[in-house]
Amino acid sequence: MTQRFPSTTARRTMLQQCGLGLGGLGLASLLCDGRAQGDVAEGGGSGPLAARSPHFPARAKRIIHFFLNGGPSHVDTFDPKPLLTKYAGQPLSTTLTTERKTGAAFPSPFKFRRYGESGLEISEIFSRTAQFADDIAVVRSMHAAVPNHEPSLMLMNCGDSVQPRPSVGAWLMYGLGSENENLPGFIAMCPGGYPIKDAENWQAGFLPGAYQGTFIDPQHRELERLIENIRSGHASLSDQRKQLDLLARLNSLSASSPEDPRLESRIESFELAYRMQTEAAEAFDLSQEPQAIREAYGDHVHGRQTLIARRLLERGVRYLQLWHGAGQPWDNHAQIEANHRKLAAEIDQPIAALIQDLKQRGMFDETLILWGGEFGRTPTVELGSDGKEQLGRDHNHYGFSVWMAGGGIRGGVAYGATDEFGFKAVENPTSVHDLHATMLYLMGLDHKRLTYRYAGRDFRLTDVHGRVIHDIIA
Amino acid sequence: MAGMNAILLLLVIFASSLLCSRSGTAQSLSEKGSDPLEASRFHWFVGRAGEGQTPFRRGSQSLEEIDFFERHVRPIFVAHCQECHGAETQWGSLRVDSRAALLRGGDHGPAIIPGEAGGSRLVTAIRRQGDLQMPPEEALREDQIEAIVQWIDRGAAWPEAPSQNNNRADLLRSHWAFQPITRPAIPDVTEPLWVRNPIDAFVLARLERVSLSPAPEADRRTLIRRLFFDLTGMPPSAQAVEAFVADPAPGAEERWVERLLASPEYAQHWGRLWLDVARYSDTKGYVYGREEKSFIHAHVYRDWVIDAFARDLPYDQFLRLQLAADHLTEPGSPDRAAMGYLTLGRRFLGVSHDIIDDRIDVVSRGMMGLTVGCARCHDHKYDPISTAEYYSLYGVFLNSAEQLERIEQTGHAADISGAWNEEHEKRQRAFAAALQEARTVAAQRMRERIDDYFFAQTEIEKYPQEGFDQILSTSDLIPNLVRRLQAYLVRAREQGDRRFVVWHAYASIPPDQFTLQAARVWESLRQLPEERIHPRMASFFAAAPPASFADVATAYGNLFAEVHRRSQEQQSVATAQENSSEEAYAAEPAFRSSADEELRDVLYGTESACTIPNELMYTIEGLFDSDTCNKLWNLQNEIDRWVLQPASPDKFVISLRDRDQEYHSQIFRRGNPALRGAVVPQQMLAAASPHADDDAARALGVGSGRLALADQIARSTNPLTARVWVNRIWKQHFGEGLVRTPSDFGLRAEEPSHRELLDWLASYLIDSGWSTQSLHRLIVQSSTYRQSGRGRHAPEVRQHGDAIDPENRWLWYKRPYRLSFEALRDSMLVVSGELDRQYGGRAGNLFPADGEPPRRTLYAAIDRQFVPSVLRMFDYANPDLHAPQRSETTVPQQSLFALNHPFVARRAQHLVAEIQSQQRESLREDQGVPGLRVAEELFRRLLQRSPTAEETEAMIAFVEAPTVDVSTVIRPGAAAWSYGYGGLEISQTGNDQADSAVSSRVMVTSWNPIPHFTGSAWQGGSALPDGVLGWVQLTDQGGHPGNDLQHASIRRWTAPRDMIIEIQSRAEHEHEVGDGVRCSIVHSSGAEHSSGAEHSAGDGRSGPQETLVSARVHNRRWEWKHDGIPVKAGETLDFVVDIFEVLNTDQYLWHVLIRQRDGGDPNAAISSDPTGQWDSQLDFVGPQSQRLDRLEQLAQVLMISNEAIFID
Repeated sequence: MTQRFPSTTARRTMLQQCGLGLGGLGLASLLCDGRAQGDVAEGGGSGPLAARSPHFPARAKRIIHFFLNGGPSHVDTFDPKPLLTKYAGQPLSTTLTTERKTGAAFPSPFKFRRYGESGLEISEIFSRTAQFADDIAVVRSMHAAVPNHEPSLMLMNCGDSVQPRPSVGAWLMYGLGSENENLPGFIAMCPGGYPIKDAENWQAGFLPGAYQGTFIDPQHRELERLIENIRSGHASLSDQRKQLDLLARLNSLSASSPEDPRLESRIESFELAYRMQTEAAEAFDLSQEPQAIREAYGDHVHGRQTLIARRLLERGVRYLQLWHGAGQPWDNHAQIEANHRKLAAEIDQPIAALIQDLKQRGMFDETLILWGGEFGRTPTVELGSDGKEQLGRDHNHYGFSVWMAGGGIRGGVAYGATDEFGFKAVENPTSVHDLHATMLYLMGLDHKRLTYRYAGRDFRLTDVHGRVIHDIIA
Repeated sequence: MAGMNAILLLLVIFASSLLCSRSGTAQSLSEKGSDPLEASRFHWFVGRAGEGQTPFRRGSQSLEEIDFFERHVRPIFVAHCQECHGAETQWGSLRVDSRAALLRGGDHGPAIIPGEAGGSRLVTAIRRQGDLQMPPEEALREDQIEAIVQWIDRGAAWPEAPSQNNNRADLLRSHWAFQPITRPAIPDVTEPLWVRNPIDAFVLARLERVSLSPAPEADRRTLIRRLFFDLTGMPPSAQAVEAFVADPAPGAEERWVERLLASPEYAQHWGRLWLDVARYSDTKGYVYGREEKSFIHAHVYRDWVIDAFARDLPYDQFLRLQLAADHLTEPGSPDRAAMGYLTLGRRFLGVSHDIIDDRIDVVSRGMMGLTVGCARCHDHKYDPISTAEYYSLYGVFLNSAEQLERIEQTGHAADISGAWNEEHEKRQRAFAAALQEARTVAAQRMRERIDDYFFAQTEIEKYPQEGFDQILSTSDLIPNLVRRLQAYLVRAREQGDRRFVVWHAYASIPPDQFTLQAARVWESLRQLPEERIHPRMASFFAAAPPASFADVATAYGNLFAEVHRRSQEQQSVATAQENSSEEAYAAEPAFRSSADEELRDVLYGTESACTIPNELMYTIEGLFDSDTCNKLWNLQNEIDRWVLQPASPDKFVISLRDRDQEYHSQIFRRGNPALRGAVVPQQMLAAASPHADDDAARALGVGSGRLALADQIARSTNPLTARVWVNRIWKQHFGEGLVRTPSDFGLRAEEPSHRELLDWLASYLIDSGWSTQSLHRLIVQSSTYRQSGRGRHAPEVRQHGDAIDPENRWLWYKRPYRLSFEALRDSMLVVSGELDRQYGGRAGNLFPADGEPPRRTLYAAIDRQFVPSVLRMFDYANPDLHAPQRSETTVPQQSLFALNHPFVARRAQHLVAEIQSQQRESLREDQGVPGLRVAEELFRRLLQRSPTAEETEAMIAFVEAPTVDVSTVIRPGAAAWSYGYGGLEISQTGNDQADSAVSSRVMVTSWNPIPHFTGSAWQGGSALPDGVLGWVQLTDQGGHPGNDLQHASIRRWTAPRDMIIEIQSRAEHEHEVGDGVRCSIVHSSGAEHSSGAEHSAGDGRSGPQETLVSARVHNRRWEWKHDGIPVKAGETLDFVVDIFEVLNTDQYLWHVLIRQRDGGDPNAAISSDPTGQWDSQLDFVGPQSQRLDRLEQLAQVLMISNEAIFID
């Protein structure tokens, strides 16, 4: 529901209630003059994290993004290329320039099968996920800019290869706020530590710092390690309650500036913080899940991470990124068969369990699931510096796959295509900007209207690009 | 000569035949061909031959034609094309909003050929006949297509309209910020008594116009607090406030202002403002693993900035030095550090375009309040800043190379020790030698394959741009060298280099017209006099006319390959005697003929593309193959890491110098370096110059132009510089600038709230010799600044004010502001009496695991890659980008920090302890100090006033409320655990097969608590291993045993009561190397000891001990369970880990869960551990003394109260 404020004065009051001083000119001026600079609708609530209404009715309320960092091979997962078998060991007619040197056609060591009524072809290493083929729309014609991890991660996460720009999650927080102010609205989980490029992957860029993603290492089980400052090491909750009461009393006695909304919102933020301490603890407590559910996700770090994610989604977290692990686990330049099989096994079950679970809870239709990495891999075999085949694949930004399911997605679809060998997107080439535009669209945001003025320009997640892929929307 | 020509001819024939097998048409060339600027340069070379070749007629511009266009064609363009091909966006570089733009076309060449609709790309696109189908979504209707076709066939009439240039000139003449700074007359006001200085006259005049009156003067406590926080970012002491309040004599305030301005704290606080502007960080951002991520000179720049504020360095000089200290000071001057402003930006993985873009941004926004960055891809949408102007500035930085300089000691560094220098020089020599060799080898390798490098120019799109990182072997062509040759050729074209006139003449022919035009081009070339065309080229191409541009490239390549071979032959004779350096080698003529020598210069001259410049790794790393690059970086890191050591002297800076040879800056279309356009000269932005119309006056002259740029920015006639700085200062004092966008004074900025005041202040700044401190004096002594808050207005005035000026733009009161993160943290250290006032020096970690460094926050190391999230949450300036101003958001994470972060709690503890000890002294008695007295003193110190009766009452009620048992912690089970190390006696070391449950009998002979807690681990000291206790460590997850059997790690659980427990244990050792660890659980019954860990130091175990289990765990998980052990209160379970036999990779995980099985003692269960469950991981805590008592809790509340955080 969109509440429009009747007058500039009321709007201004609302603005002040946002807890943004006029120093916070970006969002502040934006809210003052929404039409002129990007339409962020005002909803109820207050604070920079308060929920805001989308531009138009949303298909999805939240996004969960499985990030297979390192670059999963599309020709081994969701983009079968039988011709590679036919030409196995032979050089391809065109071998595009990538980071390293590659050799002959290298067929997938995995079997592909048709699944569901749609008959979508999926590799055996994702056979559990494949049970939901009819819910999945694979985009097989993704392309990025360069075959290097760092810029490609930035492009996929922030819409620009090089310049520091806000991440997708930060844009969503800016556009929609959080549905639950007692929890961070944008969370990035990565077992074992950071992916490469570290926190840049979930940066707020020039947006207010509050929109930055909160990093959580699910390898820890202790709440203090999961969320910064979530617990006090020096006072019990009941002591803190007394402290907050005293704080409120002293604040009210000394208020030198009557009706200054900033002071009010600061008082309110302490109450929020107090509540977060218990609510967050609860969200991360998997012992509250029935045994059967825990087993369905699997008792390992990826299962736990995915199950925590579901609990967070349930509690209104807007954007969750589940990274596969520290560094770049999917970067299989060598021995791709063993490595991809192992990596896929780690997340195939949790992904399938999540889809099943979300369906049972009636959340599937409002949750957009995104699966993918920063690019794909070459259909040709990588050569070592000695010219020997490494039985792996090099980076490939010319063509790769992502898939989506849930919130607003038409399932059982393969959109676009790479060439006959899987090197380059040739049919309906889809840029990362197109993907972002589509994600925002499903969340009820027009990627051209979600803008933020910075350094003399109205910036967008999609810069001057982006086209919504309507063909995969239900 | 004829013989030589014959050889070359043969070579060409051979090359041409080779060419048939290469696919060789070049897109980049077609672009060149379609660029009218390029074409005109071609004319310049070859005279008039190119004229009359325009393949179309000008259409007539009759009224009828124009009417047709306006009625039938323009609407189509507007509705269907211009969103993507208009003023705002130019897909494919194409604009469809003027005739000239269509004739010029986009990436694919001209869009229309007037009179030839059939041959116009626009028509094939809208007819959807080729690859390019437009508009992309939906085809135009037939009648629309027909209208466009007709319009083109009839000559494509388009009415004259005011051109962009007129528009631009209008903007330059009309926008307030681009006008000269004047000194407006001081207005008359009806209440002259309020006017303390001209600021007030301007403000009051404005207020009077809207019938508002200023707020009453703030009380003296508020004033002195405001002065302290504004000028130093720190609170005054309670005594200072009392003294000030008690001394209303005139002059007291001025004296304070002078004292504060003279304090180092002033310089630190205001220096930080500039560090925001300068996007300061101690690190380069993300770098590849091969490169050290810390800048060696960041803190030297930071200290220079602070020092500049301390000495009130005139602002114009402050700017000049930051841009061009290399020109303005002698080598070795400490002022060379100033150039950190340019060199401390993010490194963008070495992509030069982005590094330069960052520099353009920090200069244009930071110094001039102009957003030039937009013009990287297209003309600025709003401001009169063109893409050409962006690349004019680009040229300044393109021609500035980084250099590492030694500077004089800045004072606070340690003495240089001979040993330090010696090692440093050793490392430098190692690097220099490797670099020299690498440069020689790389240069030679390029010469050996010069033919390939020339040919690569015809397919330059195959060589990825910077940012597309390939692993390059020594046999690869290096893409950056391909582009280096490209740049060399551009320079040759600009200079009319006679060696390359043929190249450029042929290059300007569109590929598909080569056969048609080649002869004509040759005809004009042939007529050139010898000083315009090299004789070798003239004779060669006379004999072998090229059939395509690839032929030209091949011919050039072969010719230079031949030059190289001959040179080598000569050289091998020459160098047989002496081992000459590369420079001598280059300088020594090898050929007798000067014409030949001129050709050799292309390969060996100092400006040759083959000569790898002697620059820092930053700028030349891309010119080497990957292995060489890695090797050089490793050696560079050796130097950097040596300099980065804490004890190293601060004497290195990275500054810029002008490059020896000038590169021509070319426009990158749409910001894409692959699409190079016209060459532009280095020039000042028109908008920031009093000479907007005079190109010559804006020229930046010789060299890089950086010195001239500095002068043009930092001079009194620059319309922006002084205004922008005055506004930044004003903003810090009033929370908001007169212009609310401090780094954007362009057309989209709001008008200044007080335009004349802004100008008056700017001229005041200039007239005061650019003294920033004079500006502070003027501001803080104005009545405007001395106003009280909104609350002091009478309610009806407030209502009136809110109605007409709710945002306080007219300054009818002084708005309180929230402390920045730095001021917040510094204030806590000040009031707790802990602040370390060390001035300058190396940065330290802000939140290290153990304790907090009590230095001012600005000395915290800022790693742009890992800005602590606490800082982000408190709106810290993003160090990635120039930060015009900080947001002021309020989010619960800030409150979580205030409530839960140990930093705040420890300041509270420290403060209370200090007050108590002082009061105890003054009371001269050993009894406890009454809570009331401490509370009142806390209040006085933290808020610099006495509490009111109500406040005292509230505090006393809080302090006297019963404290929950201190031992009752958040995790009730935590008290049962203690963390120690001790000696073991091992017997019965039986078989230790991996899975054997009991392999040893383990006795704990001593147990001592581990002394140090890092915040997440117990260990011997802040460093691991510790000098005394070695590797012993305990964390929530597990730990590490000490180095021998006398230092096993022992996590001890003490039974709080009698009960039966069950134990679940899961230990894990995850490494193949080493021999793993031994995990044992030892139950001691009947030992006489209390659970207090501190008292059991050194207790040998005399009582009976039972080894419940012991196992060697090596590269595996080991689980163990016991479901019924009776324990008595005070008995212990020790979870012991020793190294087994070898100290090697002994990190382990061990999670223990203890559950009470029976009911136990019901009374005990209520008070301490109602759950009857202990979890080694969840219960893990640091020292118990972290708990705050009531007074400490009170101190914390006062520290984080609104009154402490918001400054009135």
